Amino acid sequence: MSDLSHPDPIQPIDVGEILDRIGGDTSFLKELLNIYFQEYEKKKGLLDRAIADQDFTQLSELGHSLKGSSANLSLTRLRKIAHVLETAGKEKKLQSAREAVQALDVEVESLRAFLAKNQLDQLP
Amino acid sequence: MKILIAEDDLVSAKILQKNLVNWDYEVVLASTGAAAWQALQDGDLRLAILDWMMPGMDGVEVCRQIRRRKKYKYTYIILLSAKDRKPDIIMGLSSGADDYMTKPVNFLELRARLKTGKRIIELEDKLLFTQNQLKDIASRDGLTKIWNRTEIVRFLNEELERGRREKTPTGVMMLDIDHFKRINDAYGHSVGDLALLKVVSRLKGKVRKSDKLGRYGGDEIIIILPNCPQAEVKKVGERLRQAVGRRRIKTELNTIPITISVGCSTSDMPGNSTSEKLIKTADRALLKAKELGRNSVVVAGQGRKPALENTHV
Repeated sequence: MSDLSHPDPIQPIDVGEILDRIGGDTSFLKELLNIYFQEYEKKKGLLDRAIADQDFTQLSELGHSLKGSSANLSLTRLRKIAHVLETAGKEKKLQSAREAVQALDVEVESLRAFLAKNQLDQLP
Repeated sequence: MKILIAEDDLVSAKILQKNLVNWDYEVVLASTGAAAWQALQDGDLRLAILDWMMPGMDGVEVCRQIRRRKKYKYTYIILLSAKDRKPDIIMGLSSGADDYMTKPVNFLELRARLKTGKRIIELEDKLLFTQNQLKDIASRDGLTKIWNRTEIVRFLNEELERGRREKTPTGVMMLDIDHFKRINDAYGHSVGDLALLKVVSRLKGKVRKSDKLGRYGGDEIIIILPNCPQAEVKKVGERLRQAVGRRRIKTELNTIPITISVGCSTSDMPGNSTSEKLIKTADRALLKAKELGRNSVVVAGQGRKPALENTHV
């Protein structure tokens, strides 16, 4: 799982791309990111339980759903990890699923940190 | 125009909603297939964007349900999915979707595709409107615009059926203009037509909203009176006779007197259970009214000539 263990050199969010899609509305983007974080918190509980229960269907569904919302917000790295999770669920690979769930957590935190450090409207 | 977004991912739903609101759509949100199906019970919701992957009932299943239902107007469906392989697209469209878009959505493309959907809906509306118009034209008499014979008999049958269920009697009146042939011969057919129109308009002013007028043939007019017992029908007939005969009819050149004869029958009389019999007895009563000197009302079974009556009761 090389793409999970090594931090991606690119930024966690492609601000230019997402703003393009929502007409440059940065306050709307903030609102969307808040929803994303709230949804992630809900899904995190479900993910931990699915790992414990070895519920592969649930893991792949949650992975699919996170892949979609990450893609929508141009969260490139999160999208990739969610895709790995979806695949691991489909292929019933518990170890890769567990790694992916941990990687999601790390990545969400680094996204928070990135957003705290950078003003959205001052990014390229 | 109202539009449904069925999408379980809140971020996607929000972005879609924002764009659609900007394009002046009235957005209804649903986060599950079941909620989408519930929302689609609103007949005004005719555009739907359905995400394929949703917990429980998915977008494809919602599509199938929509296509299975009757009575509703057309719902234009765009299916959204991250699945971009040909077999997926084919399966999505086979479930009854009109269009298929892969995620992430390009909004300029979505906007253009929604315009197609709007066009289809407007086309259906036009078609339905024309269909109704044609149906109406086909159900009415060309001159007087009251119901034609086929339609009024259909209505009588329905009314008798309802009367049986609700235990209420139905009245039937057959009436025609006295000496109509003479009017036609003396003043020409355009005056005959005018007389018929005037009579119809005077009758319309004196019947209840639930009563229905039809042109049975020639100058013969039939009126169906829901919930009208034997004891009432004579009074109604009298009222109509007077309303028509009270004033002369103005034509371009002169004014002419006009009267009608009325034959009445009701379903609470013995042996009057079918529409054929009701019409027949009312027709006989009309004949009797003519024999009695015209400008009169006769109720079936109450005339002065029992010989005629015996033939049909």
